Amino acid sequence: METAATPAPSTPAGTAAVAWRHRHLLDVDVVTWPEIELIMRTTDEMKGILARPIRKVPALNGRRVTTLFYEASTRTRVSFETAARNLSADVVSIATGTSSVTKGESLVDTVRTLEALGAEILVMRHGVSGAPYLAAEVFGGHVLNGGDGWHAHPTQALLDLYTMRERLPGASLPGGSLRGRKVAIVGDILHSRVARSNIWTLTAAGADLWLCGPATLLRGMDRWATAWDGGAIPGHGRFNVTSDIEAALRDADVVMGLRIQRERMQGGLLPSLREYAARFQLNAERVSLARPEAIVMHPGPMNEGVEIAPDVAVSGRSVITDQVANGVAVRMALLYLLAGAREAAPGEVAR
Amino acid sequence: MTANPGGGGRGGVGPAVGPAVGETVGRFELEGAWLVDPASGREGPGEIVVTNGILESVAWLESDEAGDVTEHGVVVAPGFFDFHAHFREPGFEDAETVATGSAAAAHGGFTTVALMPNTSPAVDEPGVVERIRSAARASGSPVEVMVYGAVSAGRAGEQLAAMGELADAGVLGFSDDGAPVRTPGLLRSALVYAGMLGLPVIDHAEDVELTAGAEAHEGYVASVMGLAGWPVAAEVGAVARDLAVLAEALADAPRARLHLTHLSTAAALDLVRRAKAAGLPVSCDVTPHHLSLADEWIAGARRWAWEALGADGRPRDPWADRALVAAPYNTSLRVNPPLRTAADAAACLAALLDGTADAVATDHAPHTVVDKEVEFGKAATGISGIETALGVLLCLADAGALPLSRAIAALTVGPARLAAAAAGTAGSSAARPRGLIEGASADLVVFDRSDRWRVTPESLFSKGKNSPFVGRELPGRVLLTIAAGRLAYEDPGIGDDAA
Repeated sequence: METAATPAPSTPAGTAAVAWRHRHLLDVDVVTWPEIELIMRTTDEMKGILARPIRKVPALNGRRVTTLFYEASTRTRVSFETAARNLSADVVSIATGTSSVTKGESLVDTVRTLEALGAEILVMRHGVSGAPYLAAEVFGGHVLNGGDGWHAHPTQALLDLYTMRERLPGASLPGGSLRGRKVAIVGDILHSRVARSNIWTLTAAGADLWLCGPATLLRGMDRWATAWDGGAIPGHGRFNVTSDIEAALRDADVVMGLRIQRERMQGGLLPSLREYAARFQLNAERVSLARPEAIVMHPGPMNEGVEIAPDVAVSGRSVITDQVANGVAVRMALLYLLAGAREAAPGEVAR
Repeated sequence: MTANPGGGGRGGVGPAVGPAVGETVGRFELEGAWLVDPASGREGPGEIVVTNGILESVAWLESDEAGDVTEHGVVVAPGFFDFHAHFREPGFEDAETVATGSAAAAHGGFTTVALMPNTSPAVDEPGVVERIRSAARASGSPVEVMVYGAVSAGRAGEQLAAMGELADAGVLGFSDDGAPVRTPGLLRSALVYAGMLGLPVIDHAEDVELTAGAEAHEGYVASVMGLAGWPVAAEVGAVARDLAVLAEALADAPRARLHLTHLSTAAALDLVRRAKAAGLPVSCDVTPHHLSLADEWIAGARRWAWEALGADGRPRDPWADRALVAAPYNTSLRVNPPLRTAADAAACLAALLDGTADAVATDHAPHTVVDKEVEFGKAATGISGIETALGVLLCLADAGALPLSRAIAALTVGPARLAAAAAGTAGSSAARPRGLIEGASADLVVFDRSDRWRVTPESLFSKGKNSPFVGRELPGRVLLTIAAGRLAYEDPGIGDDAA
């Protein structure tokens, strides 16, 4: 990128330069910590652009970004499209309710068609875990996962990490600055792609991560937590799983609520929303267990009065609107990094 | 024709046998091969001669005559019997036909197959049996096609299929495979009625209420991958139900017999082990994929299950081991029951070794690309496995985990004994002994254990390319399959060495 208006990731003194090597971003599990730092630094640059009077740079001028959303989403889709337009990309938006998908077209056919129509970067949201990996196998360009099933929501985890580092005092210094900071994620962990991607990034960041919710909505997570006991995964710390909301929140630096969906009652996983709220809602009294400077987060959309009390959602601790704003910057950074990555190599494994 | 494996080249079986598939083998001699005869329990170096479709002579060599013949070279064994396969005809001929399935079977060394009745229409009345037999005759393949009848009309789990008429038509037993016999009450009736007919009920043990929406074995891998869990309890609970109902049914039908197919969990196999010890008339099989693969393959691991087991008997961590080398969510790994843990695979092997499992059955389940090249959770369940079963068992043998003779027995006398126990098949060739028997119709497979072949969509004869082994090399290239004295498969390279 030659023009002065385009950002170039700078390399802070004392850290080695890291090149972006991923053709796709399907999950954060394969992203190393130096690469996360690169994303964070690039996001800083993008925040700088967003602070300007004219929030547009020609970095992706003429590049074609297509959003393909199989699940209803306003915030994530608009965030990606805003990010792409800020970089001057051409944006095509496909909502499956109005596409050939309603006529039974397969994901593979849809992706091949979009590629034939010129899509270079495919941003995808899908209700089935792993669907972006299938898309990545047949797509010649770059796939950016905008959330798949219960599996992953990498841009959410990265914007959460960015927001934590920005808002926790001293945390934006380079190098594992969340080390020892206690992060409590409360809600429906079992069905949450946000929680799964956050496990990867936050255990890499050295955070003291706690996952909390009713035992029926934590199913299986203890296997994951105990599998890493002793730091078996290189570069990742362990985390805790509990239904003890007070233990999870006590002295936390970050408190994150997750959406509770009504379908969970029909599946017999919860007696009622009322009972959930009584035992697990992030209300002022519970959040007061956290550290005085703790921040409150939520990936949205919120059920105020269920998983989070309205006064907590809008309190001075809440950084929920920061998350939304940072989401655009993080997605700009990722579109920029992916666009600069190499094109498909034949026979390459999509991971 | 004389074949001499010591003569150099790839196995050295050659020149070509001569006749086309389906024709009687006029003359075939093989010297210096390793013979495995599970009927007599004997194995060792020897020679065979086939004349006009008859296994004319089986000569065992003394050790001083054997030269360098070992069990690691060319092996002769009785033709394999697959107790559980799907050839999809009628109804799903784009996935497989009786003709393509038979060709695949012969390529895998199988000379007899037993086909599950989940076709469309289901095999719930004798006309469908005849339709499948007629397709088998028309295929020209000598592979013997046995058929199971459905337990329930339309496999709907409501009322019994035409079991008596199906028995008269010669079915090997009854199953609603693809799904369990839906209710305990229907299972009890089916066991009693089939018992009256002298035939077994083959159940696919699954509590479908517990597996609604399930995508992968409920465990560490599914938790990390965000896949809906397929609990062990769904198989264990169903097996417990089946065994309890069987015990009751015996009061009304002493000949009632239950076969549990494709068991995948340590706990379910343990229930069968105890039921057998208590004298219940129950048998079971395990599949090559549940013996050899673990759920970590869905995350991208590509090591054998026995390589994924820690010294403490617990599965190793594929993330910690940095063992994830392939793209995750490969739908060729979506199968029912799901791939379990490495510890469960070890339990399947232990069951095979101690006789709890009576046979290895492939559950050959071919699917089209349309049904498999989709999102993982939407993909059809099943593995195209009839051509890779031998190679997978040989990998277990090469790893020292399974003696060659036991592997062969699980593919031959194991299923044959199950078939022979079905009174309705008396006199049928399915009930004949599986051995290297002089003077009997030649029914055998010749394979070169040291000759590896690459599994590719092109190398599979099945229409179903949904094999997790695609891209891998497996040992034990099948050189020749003779079914009932007729040529079923001949490796195209056989004649090359003689040229």
